[in-house]
Amino acid sequence: MDLNLNRADYLQVGVTSQKTMKLLPASRRRATQKVVVGDHDGVVMCFGMKKGEAVTVFKTLPGQKIARLELGGVLNTPQEKVFVAAGSEIRGFTKRGKQFLSFETNLTESIKAMYISGSDLFLSASYIYNHYCDCKDQHYYLSGDKINDIICLPVERLPRITPVLACQDRVLRVLQGSDVTYEIEVPGPPTVLALHNGNGGDSGEDLMFGTSDGKLGLIQITTSKPIHKWEIGNEKKRGGILCVDNFDIVGDGVKDLLVGRDDGMVEVYSFDNANEPVLRFDQALSESVTSIQGGCVGKDGYDEIVVSTYSGWVTGLTTEPIHKESGPGEELKINQEMQNKISSLRSELEHLQLKVLQEREKYQQSSQSSKAKSAVPSFSINDKFTLNKDDASYSLTLEVQTAIDNVLIQSDVPIDLLDVDKNSAVVSFSSCDSESNDNFLLATYRCQANTTRLELKIRSIEGQYGTLQAYVTPRIQPKTCQVRQYLIKPLSLHQRTHVIDHDRPMNTLTLTGQFSFAEVHSWVVFCLPEVPEKPPAGECVTFYFQNTFLDTQLESTYKKGEGIFKSDNISTISILKDVLSKEATKRKINLNISYEINEVSVKHTLKLIHPKLEYQLLLAKKVQLIDALKELQVHEGNTNFLIPEYRCILEEADHLQEEYKKQPAHLERLYGMITDLFIDKFKFKGTNVKTKVPLLLEILDSYDQNALIAFFDAA
Amino acid sequence: MLLPVFTLKLRHKISPRMVAVGRYDGTHPCLAAATQAGKVLIHNPHTRSQHFSASRVFQSPLESDVSLLNINQAVTCLTAGVLNPELGYDALLVGTQTNLLAYDVYNNSDLFYREVADGASAMVLGTLGDIPSPLAIIGGNCALQGFDHAGNDLFWTVTGDNVHSLALCDFDGDGKKESEDFDIRVFKEDEIVAEMTETEIITSLCPMYGSRFGYALSNGTVGVYDKTARYWRIKSKNHAMSIHAFDLNSDGVCELITGWSNGKVDARSDRTGEVIFKDNFSSAVAGVVEGDYRMDGHVQLICCSVDGEIRGYLPGTAEMRGNLLDTSIEQDLIRELSQKKQNLLLELRNYEENAKAESSSPLNEADGHRGIIPANTKLHTALSVNLGNETQAAHAELCISTSNDTIIRAVLIFAEGIFLGESHVVHPSIHNLSSSIRVPITPPKDVPVDLHLKTFVGYRCSTQFHVFELTRQLPRFSMYALTSPDSASKPLSYVNFTIAERAQRVVMWLNQNFLLPEDTNIQNAPFQVCFTSLRNGGQLYIKIKLSGEITVNTDDIDLAGDVIQSMASFFAIEDLQVEAEFPVYFEELRKVLVKVDEYHSVHQKLSADMADNSNLIRSLLVRAEDARLMRDMKTMKSRYMELYDLNKDLLNGYKIRCNNHTELLGNLKAVNQAIQRAGRLRVGKPKNQVITACRDAIRSNNINMLFRIMRVGTASS
Repeated sequence: MDLNLNRADYLQVGVTSQKTMKLLPASRRRATQKVVVGDHDGVVMCFGMKKGEAVTVFKTLPGQKIARLELGGVLNTPQEKVFVAAGSEIRGFTKRGKQFLSFETNLTESIKAMYISGSDLFLSASYIYNHYCDCKDQHYYLSGDKINDIICLPVERLPRITPVLACQDRVLRVLQGSDVTYEIEVPGPPTVLALHNGNGGDSGEDLMFGTSDGKLGLIQITTSKPIHKWEIGNEKKRGGILCVDNFDIVGDGVKDLLVGRDDGMVEVYSFDNANEPVLRFDQALSESVTSIQGGCVGKDGYDEIVVSTYSGWVTGLTTEPIHKESGPGEELKINQEMQNKISSLRSELEHLQLKVLQEREKYQQSSQSSKAKSAVPSFSINDKFTLNKDDASYSLTLEVQTAIDNVLIQSDVPIDLLDVDKNSAVVSFSSCDSESNDNFLLATYRCQANTTRLELKIRSIEGQYGTLQAYVTPRIQPKTCQVRQYLIKPLSLHQRTHVIDHDRPMNTLTLTGQFSFAEVHSWVVFCLPEVPEKPPAGECVTFYFQNTFLDTQLESTYKKGEGIFKSDNISTISILKDVLSKEATKRKINLNISYEINEVSVKHTLKLIHPKLEYQLLLAKKVQLIDALKELQVHEGNTNFLIPEYRCILEEADHLQEEYKKQPAHLERLYGMITDLFIDKFKFKGTNVKTKVPLLLEILDSYDQNALIAFFDAA
Repeated sequence: MLLPVFTLKLRHKISPRMVAVGRYDGTHPCLAAATQAGKVLIHNPHTRSQHFSASRVFQSPLESDVSLLNINQAVTCLTAGVLNPELGYDALLVGTQTNLLAYDVYNNSDLFYREVADGASAMVLGTLGDIPSPLAIIGGNCALQGFDHAGNDLFWTVTGDNVHSLALCDFDGDGKKESEDFDIRVFKEDEIVAEMTETEIITSLCPMYGSRFGYALSNGTVGVYDKTARYWRIKSKNHAMSIHAFDLNSDGVCELITGWSNGKVDARSDRTGEVIFKDNFSSAVAGVVEGDYRMDGHVQLICCSVDGEIRGYLPGTAEMRGNLLDTSIEQDLIRELSQKKQNLLLELRNYEENAKAESSSPLNEADGHRGIIPANTKLHTALSVNLGNETQAAHAELCISTSNDTIIRAVLIFAEGIFLGESHVVHPSIHNLSSSIRVPITPPKDVPVDLHLKTFVGYRCSTQFHVFELTRQLPRFSMYALTSPDSASKPLSYVNFTIAERAQRVVMWLNQNFLLPEDTNIQNAPFQVCFTSLRNGGQLYIKIKLSGEITVNTDDIDLAGDVIQSMASFFAIEDLQVEAEFPVYFEELRKVLVKVDEYHSVHQKLSADMADNSNLIRSLLVRAEDARLMRDMKTMKSRYMELYDLNKDLLNGYKIRCNNHTELLGNLKAVNQAIQRAGRLRVGKPKNQVITACRDAIRSNNINMLFRIMRVGTASS
């Protein structure tokens, strides 16, 4: 069965955060439901749809930015009390809009995530988790990395209270009281948690998670260990997951999985006989989907998916057909409704325009006086700067509540800006005089009308570090722009992992000296991505990293006065050595750096690179042949005369070309890394081999693994 | 929602822009397209039984309804249409770098095969001006040629540069137009009636209706002109591969259909450029054409992708009310209005917050961080000429400064045609921030350019900045600095003409088109000004006498042309006869002409050699095979050795011929450009006279006459 959903926009509020829109429970099945939504202005709004017009039930006064909105109530009754988290305060409203609760948690940080179950309240700020029961503090936990979301397995079905934290370091932490029962590693930084089927599935222990790199999974949280049920990868390179919900939109009696992503994709997965999810429907909206829920809002009797987006649009994707098959009279009525709506909007606009004109004049006049000041209006930018594991590149997404006019990208390190197919903005690279002004990249993106979201891809080089700046100018008067800075770290292509292979040959770098734990931690933060800024608890800490491009690894263990870094890649050690000594000199700290180089590791790294390099070389060769072979095919009419290898290339032509296109400059990057390895190996020996690099490149051109290893040994 | 009425997948690649539909047998429309390896494919879904069986055409081994036509040379342009009205069916015309082939597909015979020295990079078929029979007009290296069905060369003219696209269009009654490097030129028969300069290479043109036509540039811009005025244009990061006019929404007016390099096809309203329909292919679009491909009496829009996917679309029916996209108009309108409302509300809030900020204490540190600046901050801009120093070449300079202690964080300049991309950014490092910035600008051509400036103003530690937007015009001759006259270096070349204008008006023209220092005070006529080019240090003298006689001394004939054209448009001069003397340039041209003759004779000689050799090959081959049959292996071997040597000779000869040909093309282009330049020194009627007379002189090979015309503007003494 085909799922056909039509888009209907209901209302626009202010900018919304993740999980800030909910539907109040309906009085009966398929009756229209009310929508509650909280925005960054601090306004909680509840509205219903009547004859295609939004009718407000209640609306609170502006206040602090609302970070979360949840529904709650006495267990086993309709959950129709509205709870919002704003700043460090929790407020509760009845469905009529009467405030019955105002609870100041006295947390030092503002609340980031909230979950409510009966009289239990689970809160988390950036690193702190708190459990309250009837507003009384029960449990507390300090997490090692940022907490993105929080949930509790259903207490009415299980005999225990099991809160689960989704933490930025790719781990779900299952708690019991104030302690961690166990940790579950997931494939990406988890951003959202939800109970399977809304109640935890058959066992009541099934938990769904979504990650910021767009993966989804289901895990059963038993008392002793996790059981992974299924996982959906992100083949199509779509955005990160911001919200999920379960609702039977297909109408087959099984609840479907609704997913909202930060690139505006709304997806519906239904479950097949083996309980595996299958994609049934997807639609692209133009901006991040912050909340999603299935229900019925626009017209009773028609199910729909209600979503809220970053800029505050509440939109329904409804099963109600656009073209009514009823009599002509009714159609007229619908048109009439639309017309009314449009004309009321128009008159409202006219009124506003007049007001704006007056204000504008006032503003202009103020510019004549010498005492007056001109403040820039602040606007919020929703940005994300993440490393993609697949192609070892960074992607930067910028989203603004109004249309973007242009974006200036400036970088003081050499980086490559790659084209993203989704972008419609016109890119223009400007020449830059790098010596005098520290510019290595100056590029402007001039956006087409109505672009609120821009995605960029950036390729960095390990060892070269600095800052990337984005100046975002939206299309709004008075014109202003905001700068966002992103650090390109020295080991930018490394990613946190939790397990490494200890059998590899390792090179070791040891630091000793008079430095505190906080200092050494700050150096690690400076060098490596995905490390929490706050020094973790404990005296000694170990982090594991993996190079996303070469799959080499790095182990860093440090405490007060000592730091040990182990890697199977000499280049990694060399970069660390350079950066750390530079940092220490800057702070005038006396550092003793000693290193232990394992000759075998070079061979090992070359062997790691070998399959990648061979694959790329073969791919390049095959792709080169495709056109010629195709011509032969056209000329001869069949391919029987070709050797099987060539026939195989022809059959896979499309696939090969796609693969080739996906990894631009992959070969050059590999060459670059081999060259670095070569230089670094001899740098530790104290010899400069830069003169031999052309020789190395020659060997690479006619690549043979043994010849390369021999060259490394001989030189 | 408009859906394709048919979708085909041919297993052949299709070369971009080389797709045409024709009724080669008079009734059945077939699609012809250039494919790889110098072949042309003809897709004929209607008559499967018919088989071509001749040397040139063979059945495609991959598909039964596709025939392939061997050209054995890279196809550079392709079109189909009625060339001979008496035949009653369409001919297929294929252009390559050296030849033009008119081919009768139905009878499988050549109509004619002509060698075209200038190459054929663009082609259009149709009637032109007073010439009654349809012409195949091909555009090549700076030249246009028209052939009738017999292959007779009926039309010839020159243009300023290589022709990229040709289209016939009713410009002002009847005309025809054509485009090449950055310019669109409109010809009425063989005289230029209009020229439009664009910022990039023009890749496609298509007539819409009346005097309206669409165009596409290589930087991803498409737009519509009505006569010489641009209606609209849009720019995308992709390139427009093919444009076509088609009435997709059945409102009686053609829309501009664009096929893009990323596989997108969109239809835009000819008046506003608004998208009314779009669809996506998996690969780049190769061509957009129209034809009644299903033979049901309705014309379809046919889009082909480079991978051989073909889709046909029927125009939308009346019930759809022009609504071809799947979302309803009302919804879109509401969304748009709400967005507007939201923007206005935001703006209002901005002013409110501003008022709030104003009422608080005077400026302090924190304010600077938030980007609060004094309201009376103003931005000054000034354009001047900088003569440069050892480290920096001379350039025009834009100086931007604020009126108080605020700093300029960055300057974005959006301007077309003078930078590598469309923008130039100046972003000083955090240590070098100040309240003024100097931006060097070196426009590569003498054209007036609008500089759209966006300046980020704030304080050193600000994370938010005010954006000041303003537009400055860079005058046409900004790369010339006023210098003191020095008669010793005065260029020998000059142009001389008389205009009926007062000297003050000339001074006005100077002020508008040159960057003069502020204190320049030019007295009344007669006077003389001297400029130095910042590009190559060349001198430009402009002298005006009391009588209104103006002498412009410069060695650069293009510059002289630019000065005259600029003056003519400023003073609204319709016709201007000019006397010109460019001894150096003329001498070069004379050499070029001699060379052209040489290359021509070499070419002929080489061709003759090749013919000889090919005869020899034939006989050698026969003798070698004979020897093989006689089992005389020794003779056979020696024969084949000879053949091998001969083959090598031929290959070498071919290489020489190739080089010779490129040289010849280069020189021919220089000749064509010289005529064009001589024309540009005049305005209006004298301009056309010069071009016509020059062409006649070249035809009659009268070189002295040619130079005479270039000098005085007429052939008769």
